Amino acid sequence: MSTPPTLTINVEFGGGLELLFANQRKYQLSIPVLIPPDTTATPPSGSAPPPILSKPADITFLIRYLKENHLKERPELFVEGETVRPGILVLVNDTDWELEGEGDYALKEGDEIVFISTLHGG
Amino acid sequence: MSESCGNPNFESEALMSRRPKYDKTKICVRCKLAMGSVVIRHVVYCKPCFGPMVATKFRRTLEPHINVTPDAGPRRKALKAPGSLLLGFSGGLGSVVLLDLVNRSYFPPSNSTGDASSEQTKSGNGIGLRDEKAERRGGKDHPRNLRVWDKGSVCYVEICGAFPGMRDRTEEMRDLVNSNFPQLEFISARLEDAFDDAWWNAVGGKLVDGAFRVDVSSEELHLSAMSGEATPADRLQKYISLLPTQTAIPSAIQDLTRLILLHTALYRNASHLLLGTSLTSLSVSLISSISQGGGFNVREEAQEEWIPPDSRSRPSQIPIRIIRPLRDVGLKECAMWAWWNGLHIPGREKHPGGKQGVGALTYNFITGLERDFPSTVSAIARTCAKLEPKQVSESHCILCQRPAQPGIQDWKERISIRSFIDSSIIPPPHVSRDGIFAKEKSDSGDLPSPGLTPLLCYACHTTLTSRSPRGTARNADMASPLPSWVNSRLSDSIATTRKMGEGAMRDSIRDFLLEEDP
Ligand SMILES: [Zn+2]
Ligand SMILES: [Zn+2]
Repeated sequence: MSTPPTLTINVEFGGGLELLFANQRKYQLSIPVLIPPDTTATPPSGSAPPPILSKPADITFLIRYLKENHLKERPELFVEGETVRPGILVLVNDTDWELEGEGDYALKEGDEIVFISTLHGG
Repeated sequence: MSESCGNPNFESEALMSRRPKYDKTKICVRCKLAMGSVVIRHVVYCKPCFGPMVATKFRRTLEPHINVTPDAGPRRKALKAPGSLLLGFSGGLGSVVLLDLVNRSYFPPSNSTGDASSEQTKSGNGIGLRDEKAERRGGKDHPRNLRVWDKGSVCYVEICGAFPGMRDRTEEMRDLVNSNFPQLEFISARLEDAFDDAWWNAVGGKLVDGAFRVDVSSEELHLSAMSGEATPADRLQKYISLLPTQTAIPSAIQDLTRLILLHTALYRNASHLLLGTSLTSLSVSLISSISQGGGFNVREEAQEEWIPPDSRSRPSQIPIRIIRPLRDVGLKECAMWAWWNGLHIPGREKHPGGKQGVGALTYNFITGLERDFPSTVSAIARTCAKLEPKQVSESHCILCQRPAQPGIQDWKERISIRSFIDSSIIPPPHVSRDGIFAKEKSDSGDLPSPGLTPLLCYACHTTLTSRSPRGTARNADMASPLPSWVNSRLSDSIATTRKMGEGAMRDSIRDFLLEEDP
């Protein structure tokens, strides 16, 4: 009967990406703490049968969530497969997501996630 | 990584997908203390070390080319440029970062001798240029603290005139430059200026009576006299509309922009034209340039010197160095620099067809490569920098004014069905007494037909004609206008030829060039 627990994170777009998101640079989002396990991922090798919500929400989930809920146009400029399109940088609390496990980074309450496009070129 | 002697292919594939983007540790490679904030080609930097790292790459590329005589080894002399500075500005990420770096490094506000102090006030969490330790070593009288260029200007070339309905962003760019970089003067130009006598006159070009048009349906690019009045924008649109492929459009825009910037630089007595081409963009343009026949000039894509064609009459003329100071700085570094310093990136306007060309495809390829295998992109640029044409060129293309590969005509004659012409001696067109008629003179019998082809580099010839001429219906509409600098030099050639007093030659000029005369 209770609603699933959620966590609040802040998302910001830079480098022109906000144009794809209704020209709104900052979003405060409430997302589920746990999400269904990725169907494409290897099932956990533990003994317990996987519950319906078993995996912490990660950035891969956030990318999908943004695409499904807030992306207004030209999704090919934001996503490619399960991740962001090449040329888009992701910062987790001001740190390159490549240092934080990229899409596998498990989101925490109050996280600041920034997506920056480099596609405007030089 | 693995010490086992398993199947190397299998091993590397297995490692490839899960390999972290950084080497070994998350600690900054520079200070070896702080936790890293960004990974650049597998190397980890903390935020305070990232700024000086980018600034160092920028200076290392630019500063050896500032003084007239380049310094070898550690610099002792003060930096002093022989002329003013012009920055090419597109509104794109690289060019905004270039303006910011140039502004902070060489045009600090007058109440400050250096930029280190103004750094912090600009943005609370911004990143600086300087490594504090290096700064102390350099000292207060370090040559960096003297003004290297007396004057700096920013030139934005608006391309909307080529595409009806496209947004004009000149005022947006002017506001951005004036409000963020007040030490730099904003200059606006338009792509159609290339076809505008008034602009040509304003930048000190030699006005000629009568312009030429070129029949782009012929491989020889036959020339004839231009007739009728057309606005510069009409001429530009005609020029663009007659290009044979989508790929040719961005190439043509780039070449026209480059020459507009160069002539602006010349008029402004600039010794340096800086472009905001990043490592990523440089790799894209290198690959796409080679694929479009620009292999001979692959080194000029990275760095070049332009000696204005008129320089013989003005011996004191200094060549203009075209430098891309961000050519070791990737787009990721540019984006992080811009983000951490709160720079606004207006972005380059996409033009119709831009997405379909070879350039755009190469761009997608390179950005994908850069994400998954970050070191390969700098390897492309480094490899191309080592490429050197076997032959030295003494002539310059009349259109893009880059070195033209000798013997192009030989090759073109071999692949087309023509009688053999000994054209082993193609003189440099702009110093030649014979100019455009060099080839035709040796062709006995038929009337010579003046064409632009012998005066073009391979890449420009390809840009204008890569569609098979046999597949194209010839009609009057295939005659394209030419930029002012081409007209000017063609007129020189023809005036010279006229003076030679050869009856037959004069007749041929009349037939082909003065057909509009009563
Ligand atoms: Zn550090
Ligand atoms: Zn050329």
